[in-house]
Amino acid sequence: MRSKRGLRHDRAMAIIEVRDLTKRYGGRAVVDEVTFSVEEGEIFAILGPNGAGKTTTVEMIGGLRRPDGGSVRVMGLDPIADPRRTKEILGMQLQESQFADRIRVGEALELFSSFYPSPVPWRQLMEELGLSEQERTLFSRLSGGQRQRLSIATALVGSPKIAVLDELTTGLDPKARRDTWELIEALRDRGVTIVLVTHFMEEAERLADRVAVIDRGRLVALDTPRGLISSTASRQVMRFRPGTPLDPDDLRDLAEVETVTDEGGTLTVTGSEGLVYAVTSLLARRQVVAHELRVDTATLDDAFLALTGREPETEETER
Amino acid sequence: MKPLITLTKIETRVFLREPLAVFWGLVFPSLLLVVLGLVFPGAQQFSEDLGGARLVDLYAPTVIGLSLITLGVSTLPTILATYRERGILRRMSTTPVHPSRLVLGQLVIHAGVAVVASAASIALGRVLFEIALPANLGGFVLAFAVGTAGLFAVGLLIGALAPTASSGQGIGLAVYFPLLFFAGVYFPMQVMPDGLRTVAELMPSGAVVRSLADTWAGQSLQIPNLVVMAAFAVVFGLAAVRLFRWE
Repeated sequence: MRSKRGLRHDRAMAIIEVRDLTKRYGGRAVVDEVTFSVEEGEIFAILGPNGAGKTTTVEMIGGLRRPDGGSVRVMGLDPIADPRRTKEILGMQLQESQFADRIRVGEALELFSSFYPSPVPWRQLMEELGLSEQERTLFSRLSGGQRQRLSIATALVGSPKIAVLDELTTGLDPKARRDTWELIEALRDRGVTIVLVTHFMEEAERLADRVAVIDRGRLVALDTPRGLISSTASRQVMRFRPGTPLDPDDLRDLAEVETVTDEGGTLTVTGSEGLVYAVTSLLARRQVVAHELRVDTATLDDAFLALTGREPETEETER
Repeated sequence: MKPLITLTKIETRVFLREPLAVFWGLVFPSLLLVVLGLVFPGAQQFSEDLGGARLVDLYAPTVIGLSLITLGVSTLPTILATYRERGILRRMSTTPVHPSRLVLGQLVIHAGVAVVASAASIALGRVLFEIALPANLGGFVLAFAVGTAGLFAVGLLIGALAPTASSGQGIGLAVYFPLLFFAGVYFPMQVMPDGLRTVAELMPSGAVVRSLADTWAGQSLQIPNLVVMAAFAVVFGLAAVRLFRWE
């Protein structure tokens, strides 16, 4: 994985504090005593399957819904008691929100910039997001990627300290998705704190400094992507077919090896860190050639599976 | 104030790019008056059956009513329901400016279009058919303002509740045609039987057309008409404000 660029303060300040946050619909808790804090300048991902309560959580942070329990503070402000000031410092891009078909890109940006006390110049923002050529294009004629960029632009036009981006890349083609990711990193490098709601592992793994995993309304894990992977799926897996017979017990004697299974001449060896070095060293000493050698390291997918007991959704299921 | 001004300016442009809204709300009422006056046999003849008036004279206030009904209960609720269905109201609620400003802007735009459409009908009637200008101008303006408020309040309530654009349009149309009927669009109120005319004047569309006709002819504004229009404005308006669904 790439190292994260950007501003990591030595003593990071919490810019959003969420404590025991709860929301019920018809007696059922869709957000159930969730507690976390987001540090200034980080990219904080909220990851979970559809219907896990991610969007409801960020809607309460943004002051769109009133919590049934617990508290939210955004730079010390209560979003329900002080919605106007909260919304001035927190820009939100909502899932599936659109604009009027016959509004032009430039008009939408001018309109949203008029809502804020000290907006960034909207033409400059339009240029940064690569929408200048579409200034006079009607919303209905924009591509999916252009619509998404306009949506991001309107979330940023008020010059927010925090940007909440919900299911940002859902439905985008891979090129548009990569462009959007670069945009988010550029944004973070300018000091904007980003809360990213997603159900794509790859997105969280690539972008996030920390990931909160929410499942059925509950916070089930909160760590860096790397931390999540190593804490929940530390095992490594090797598969190979020995060129000459090899006693599985010789492998089992290695300290790093946990299990060895033999399926029709193909050995599957699992173990902890250092497994690969230990096994290849043994094979080299015995002068055994390993055919069809595969080494699998755990990904955030495996971590997600371990945490929620469910397969993460893939892009294919999305379409 | 600045957001409301920018919003009204931009939303006006968006409205004027919608060909159907522009045609039915702005152009059609004047077109109907012109076609009726030029094509309908005897429309410009003084008629004993119509109390010594000409059909074009009677139709002038009716087409103004038609414009108010179309803008109020068809165009307005469809736009509001579309903005709800498309998440535009919800998107705006993430900003420091409440989406009620968007609704307010739409009311301002629709009222402005109604004024322009009505002025066009009056001007065309004057030029083509020598229809006199409203004789009781003060009463006419008051009737127009309160009548607009009454009809727009009905549309606002539909737009406050309809979850989707198509439901807003559907409910709007179900209300639209009866309102047109009571406004005398199909046949003038002057030839309606007394009982039917009484019912018509209890409707905001009948009340506005009757009071526009009275004041146009130089008579005073009838208090019962004014009460009906104001009652619709207050009751439906308050219900819309209380029940408005922002998502």
